[in-house]
Amino acid sequence: MLSARALRVTLPGLILGAATIAHAATPSPTYTLRPAHSSLTYTFTQAGAANQGQFKRFSVRFDPSAGTLVVVIDMRSFDTGDAQRNEVLGGADFFDVAHYPQARFQATRLRKTAGGYLATGPLTLRGVTRVVSVPFTWRLIGTPTHPAGLLDGQTVLKRLDFGLGQGQWRATEWLGNAVTVHFALRLAPAAH
Amino acid sequence: MLRNTTARWGTPAQLLHWLIALLIGVQAILGVSGVALPLGMAKLATLARHKSLGITLLALVLVRLLWRVVNPRPALPENLKRYERTLARATHAALYALLIALPVSGWLMSAARGFPVSWFNLVQLPNLVSRNLALYHLLVRVHVALAITLALALALHVAAALKHHFVLHDDTLRRMVPGWAPRDRDASALNKD
Repeated sequence: MLSARALRVTLPGLILGAATIAHAATPSPTYTLRPAHSSLTYTFTQAGAANQGQFKRFSVRFDPSAGTLVVVIDMRSFDTGDAQRNEVLGGADFFDVAHYPQARFQATRLRKTAGGYLATGPLTLRGVTRVVSVPFTWRLIGTPTHPAGLLDGQTVLKRLDFGLGQGQWRATEWLGNAVTVHFALRLAPAAH
Repeated sequence: MLRNTTARWGTPAQLLHWLIALLIGVQAILGVSGVALPLGMAKLATLARHKSLGITLLALVLVRLLWRVVNPRPALPENLKRYERTLARATHAALYALLIALPVSGWLMSAARGFPVSWFNLVQLPNLVSRNLALYHLLVRVHVALAITLALALALHVAAALKHHFVLHDDTLRRMVPGWAPRDRDASALNKD
């Protein structure tokens, strides 16, 4: 299959390949984020209790027919609702936003599953790149004149895989390693 | 002897008393050192243990109160003056009230800060109030004031127990200590006169 072969190549190749496929094969649009109706949050375990945080600024580009999914997060836009905790999380031991202001996920493989899609590709967070697989659902809403879609899902990441927690913060008894990332994104066809 | 009598406390009441006394001491150490520690994993761990033990204390005090109401209660010594009886009753009532108010204020305080409380990383307790920094700062002051009041009430409680034991030579302290038999009543009566 053409798309499967195209998707296996490296990132720059993928972007070109995906663009080619999109133009050649389908009229399906590229969707981008409608921030006002979208959320990107995470749940982490602090002292045995579930705590939440969010990112306020991020961008999403999704083209289901071309197999494109790119998410770029402005790491300086994180918020966990507590000023003191935010200061620690933004600092060198965690997000280190001064040195790593952006996180990025790009699907290199987008597989249709029974319930939706599975996007697999490199996630770069705090300068560490790891391949992750993220399941999500994609539901078209809106009207023929104002098409839109909802991209929903969640995935569990291990914070230590990305160096989130240096020194004393590597211990996981009081700050769990598993972090659940939730996303509820409202997308609409990109304006031309 | 499980149940209380009008002469002495039963074993469950005695064990609850001393276990709660021990936990109050541990709580004071964890609370003060937790506040003093710099922001870090040790502070997180210390305050998490403080919260878990506080919730444990709350449960133990409620069990103790329940046990108290379904049991006979040893009478206060007969030789007490009227104001001493009033003071004894007031101090005991204050101790129970403080031992409920302290953990509850701590629980509310943590919730108001936006940090849900977990009991030993096993059970997450519900947030009884939502995040509210003004309320948090108020509750910090309440929690500290209650802790200081508890320290004063405990000082009075311990001083009274020692007075009963070493000055009045009665059974007030002995009857709370597991395994200590009451003194011979006639002998203690002789000592007093």
